[in-house]
Amino acid sequence: MLWKGKYELGVQLVDEQHKELFARVEAFIQTLRSSASWENKVTKVNETLDFMKNYVVEHFQDEEEYQRKIGYPGYEEHRKIHADMVSYVVKISEEYERLGFDEQLMQQFAGKLLAWLINHVASEDQRIAAYAIEKGVAGNEH
Amino acid sequence: MNTDLYTPFLEATRSVFELMLDLSDVEERSSEGFTGDNTMNISIGVIGDLAGEVVYCFPAETSLNMVKIMSGMELDSVDEFVTSAISEISNIISGNVLTILADGDLKCDILPPVIRTADENKTYALQTACCLATSAGDVCLDIRLDPTAQQ
Repeated sequence: MLWKGKYELGVQLVDEQHKELFARVEAFIQTLRSSASWENKVTKVNETLDFMKNYVVEHFQDEEEYQRKIGYPGYEEHRKIHADMVSYVVKISEEYERLGFDEQLMQQFAGKLLAWLINHVASEDQRIAAYAIEKGVAGNEH
Repeated sequence: MNTDLYTPFLEATRSVFELMLDLSDVEERSSEGFTGDNTMNISIGVIGDLAGEVVYCFPAETSLNMVKIMSGMELDSVDEFVTSAISEISNIISGNVLTILADGDLKCDILPPVIRTADENKTYALQTACCLATSAGDVCLDIRLDPTAQQ
C-alpha cells in the first residue's frame, strides 16, 4: 500500500482525497507493471488515466479552497505547483493519444507521478498542516 | 567567490531521502571507488546566478531499491518507469537546493532532467562531488557550476 499514516494532514476531506489518489495511482501502476500484454492492459490504463485527470483537478480545487479558508500564506506558490502538474498531465494525455496509446510514455508518466505525489503530499502539503496547527485553525474545514 | 554548494546538496539529498523513502541512515562517503559502471546518470541543468549542471549518478541497484521502496513492487531492470521516478527525485532534490541557495541570495532555476554523463572536457569554478551511502545503496552527485556575469 502506497499510503502512509504520516501523510495525513488532519483535514478530513483532503486526507480522504489523498487516500483515494494514492489508491488510484497504486492501481494504475499495478496495472501498468503487470505481466499482461499491453493490448490487455490498455483499456484499464485508459480508464484510470481518465479518472485521475478529473480527480486531480477536483482535489486540487478543494485543497486550494481549504488553504484560502485558513489564510495559508503559501497559497499562490502551492496553486502554481498544482497548475504546473495539471498542465503536465494534460500534455502527457494529449501526447499519449497522439502517439496511439504508447506504453513507454505511460511508464514514464507513472514513474514521475509516483515520485511527485509522494513528495508533494509528504512535503508541500505538510506545510499547510503545520501552518494550521501553528495558527490554531487545524481541522477548520467548514 | 566562496560558495559552499556541497552542504546544500548534502542537506537536500538527505532530507528528500528521509521524507520520500524513509531512509534515515544516509552517510557521507568518499567518491573513491565509486565507479560509473552500470550507473544511470541524470543531468539537471542550472541557469541563473550559477550556470552548469549537476549530474546524479545512481547505480542500478540503488535505483531499483529506491523505486521498490516507493512503489512496494519488485523491479528487475532499470526501465522507463524506474528512470522517470529517479529523474523526478533528482529534480526534487535540485529544487530544494535552489530554495536553500535563494535564502543566501543566489537566484537560480533548473532545467528538466536529461539522461547523460558529465562533460569531462569542461571545467567549472565550482566543481565538487558529494557521495552518500544508504541502506538502499550508494549515490553520487557531480556538481559542476560557474558563477555567471551578474555576480
